Amino acid sequence: MKQSGDALFAKDASAPIGFASFRYTERGFKVQAVKVLPGEFYVDTDDTPIVTVLGSCVAVCLRDPAAQVGGMNHFLLPDGGDSGLASTAGRYGVNAMEMLINELVKRGAQRHRLEAKVFGGGHVMRNFTSLNVGQRNAEFTKEFLKTEAIRLLSEDLLDIYPRKVCFLPKSGRALVKKLAAADETLVMQEKQYQSQLVEKPVAGDIELF
Amino acid sequence: MLSILAVDDSPSIRQMVSFTLKSAGYSVIEAADGTEGLAKAKEKAVNLVLTDQNMPLMDGITLVKNLRGLPMYATTPILILTTESSDDMKAKGRAAGATGWLVKPFDPVRLVEIVKKVIR
Repeated sequence: MKQSGDALFAKDASAPIGFASFRYTERGFKVQAVKVLPGEFYVDTDDTPIVTVLGSCVAVCLRDPAAQVGGMNHFLLPDGGDSGLASTAGRYGVNAMEMLINELVKRGAQRHRLEAKVFGGGHVMRNFTSLNVGQRNAEFTKEFLKTEAIRLLSEDLLDIYPRKVCFLPKSGRALVKKLAAADETLVMQEKQYQSQLVEKPVAGDIELF
Repeated sequence: MLSILAVDDSPSIRQMVSFTLKSAGYSVIEAADGTEGLAKAKEKAVNLVLTDQNMPLMDGITLVKNLRGLPMYATTPILILTTESSDDMKAKGRAAGATGWLVKPFDPVRLVEIVKKVIR
């Protein structure tokens, strides 16, 4: 991904944890794009290009066409075991979705109007385990959208290719480019992200007043 | 059997919370937003309310305020389970009369521990 010298992290103190803040100039676009890294999400009410690169991770692009607000997340489920809704992996995935949906709702979206486009879940970590990590992420995502009754407009999932996705949150346009298979850097990044998930407990703080 | 009212606009979260609490031996009533939660709470007195914060029609903190205005819910434990983790929001929850603040994602074992500790 070509990045010019004016790339910057524009941290907003009021932004929620995990809100993407890396802005850069993406070739072919006149405006600054935002890059969503693994574990992050981003929401906007204009057509700021939201860009991410996926291997076995998934990105869910959600948009409320009436409120003209949209956003994207980028996540994968922690390794191992069951991926049902009440499992550790499931709870991580539901939380990644919830963070995105909450931010959309705060900016005027209504849950029942949300529409989804989903990408990723490629079988790119072929030396990883016998388990198809990408397929597990893709299946979780589709199951979640079904449970939440969120309309799935389009999907580009599975296969063996990494993908570069660009989503325009106001208009809802999504552009996907399949990248050459087996990008070592990307596979390394995803492995690192997944190992961090295993170390971090899937639970938030509790405070009794 | 002790009963719990679980309020969340996400069907996935309601499913996860209900499954966890039912497995621990509680009876669970579900509601999809604060308005529905308030109506169900009035219908039948529950032993604990567990509510999300950001929901359509009525948010969690407003639900807490409304419940605390009812004599039957003056001392009932009310827990807020939300992705919101700011001190400002917690302070608002506390001022409204919430019993505790749990940041999502929740750990099923810890959720049951907290419920056991505060339910009456």
